[in-house]
Amino acid sequence: MAAQAVIDARDLSLTFTTADGPVYALQGINLTVNDGDFVSFIGPSGCGKTTLLRVIADLEQATAGTISVNGMSPAQARMARAYGYVFQAPALYPWRTVEKNVGLPLEIMGTADAASRVKRNLELVNLAGFEKKFPWQLSGGMQQRVSIARALAVEPKLLLMDEPFGALDEIVRDKLNQQLLELWAATKKTVVFVTHSIPEAVFLSSKIVVMSPRPGRIIDVIETNLPANRTLDIRETPEFLKIAHRVREGLKAGHSYED
Amino acid sequence: MKTEGRKSSVVPVTVVCVIILVAWYIAAIFMNAVVAEPKIEALGGGFANTVNVSWSLDRPVIPAPHQVVVEVWKTVFTIAPWKVRSLLYHVWVTLSSTLLGFVLGTLLGIGLAVAIVHSRLLSKSLMPWIIASQTIPILAIAPMVIVVLGSIGLTGLVPKSIISMYLCFFPVTIGMVKGLTSPDPMQLDLMRTYNASVSQVLWKLRFPAAMPFLFASLKVAVAIALTGAIVGELPTGAQSGIGSRMLAGSYYGQTIQIWSALVAASAVAAALVYGVGAIERIVNRQMGARA
Repeated sequence: MAAQAVIDARDLSLTFTTADGPVYALQGINLTVNDGDFVSFIGPSGCGKTTLLRVIADLEQATAGTISVNGMSPAQARMARAYGYVFQAPALYPWRTVEKNVGLPLEIMGTADAASRVKRNLELVNLAGFEKKFPWQLSGGMQQRVSIARALAVEPKLLLMDEPFGALDEIVRDKLNQQLLELWAATKKTVVFVTHSIPEAVFLSSKIVVMSPRPGRIIDVIETNLPANRTLDIRETPEFLKIAHRVREGLKAGHSYED
Repeated sequence: MKTEGRKSSVVPVTVVCVIILVAWYIAAIFMNAVVAEPKIEALGGGFANTVNVSWSLDRPVIPAPHQVVVEVWKTVFTIAPWKVRSLLYHVWVTLSSTLLGFVLGTLLGIGLAVAIVHSRLLSKSLMPWIIASQTIPILAIAPMVIVVLGSIGLTGLVPKSIISMYLCFFPVTIGMVKGLTSPDPMQLDLMRTYNASVSQVLWKLRFPAAMPFLFASLKVAVAIALTGAIVGELPTGAQSGIGSRMLAGSYYGQTIQIWSALVAASAVAAALVYGVGAIERIVNRQMGARA
């Protein structure tokens, strides 16, 4: 008996037509994400990992194949506000305070208990006390935590994250990885996470999807089975290194290290 | 602007003003020579007489600065503001139609920009007309506007305001089209993930993002709204307003009156631009801009 599939993609392809001819961003993608999974898409630039996430979010439309999100089409899922999306940059609105930024989706959706949700989710990302600050008064890491709180405020069961820590330095990134893992354990959400960092993918994920470019495709899916209450120290253990090695081999097999 | 900025600009501003004043006084001697020559010679010539006569003619070609200052002083402070001879009365007449035209033009400009941003069709069909409207010299159509509106019973304030509006909607439209399309794709995608409606995107993202562009446009718009109002007073022989003062002054060779009207016009323009700037600073503070 399989758990309810949150995301189910079958033979999914996306081809962009450009002036220089077609670009095969995604080809023959088969993927199942189950309830409660933490799934990472890893691969070099141009492998379609962000595009795949955007297809799930209905920010791009597949040109062939089928995909369902929560048993619906991505468009229906978006209209049902079934997911929270965290972008590569915080994408905060500079004229809104932290609490107003987190409350933005709730304003749009007309949520009744907005104030308590804002408060709760800011506490969740350790930003209690920063409600009245404007984005420019925060560090890059804090801004990205605000954007995570904003995605969580929708209280979606599915969290889509597109390289959310890509622009941050390694020290801040480690800390946020640890916090994200704790958050995932505490909230039991399904997370789909795009990254190009092998340690980040192995540390965070229950399932790693290794992708390769031209055409964008999946070349390996790895179940990690690391203990749930892991800390950053696990990155020194043989199990961790074994998985990291397999990811690296997968990327190599996909010719990802060429040019 | 910071206080240090203001302090440090005092010296250069003063220097420039002094240079202009000196040049003006010297120019007044040479430009008034035609009128002043006989009188100077009658008094026996000499530098002192030249200066005295050239700088105090009743109808100089170019009045000396102090003559303008005296005229402004007299017509502002020694005559009740509701009298026709008061400069303030004329300033108010022009100012009221400027402000009405500015408000109308701003609303029209924002409305057009919103329409253009939301419809490719409108963007393609409206833009050429909007640009064409500004290639027509305002002096050419101002009399027509006044006459046409006059024939349907609209006189006084409204026709002048419409000329102001006609001039000042343009920078607002151009600025707001730019401003409303200024949010980056990520900020727009965010709204899409919330399934936000077009009007929610407009009010919660596009308008706030457009504020800096709006205020830059409004500063231009308010100054040309004043120009529009003055131009609107010229072709019809209006009885009041800064424009009518200039026109009357030129009929009767009252150059001092023309210059004092000019001074009034530029003072009003400066005050209007400064006023827009003050509102901008308040809005910026509300929107959390860096101090």
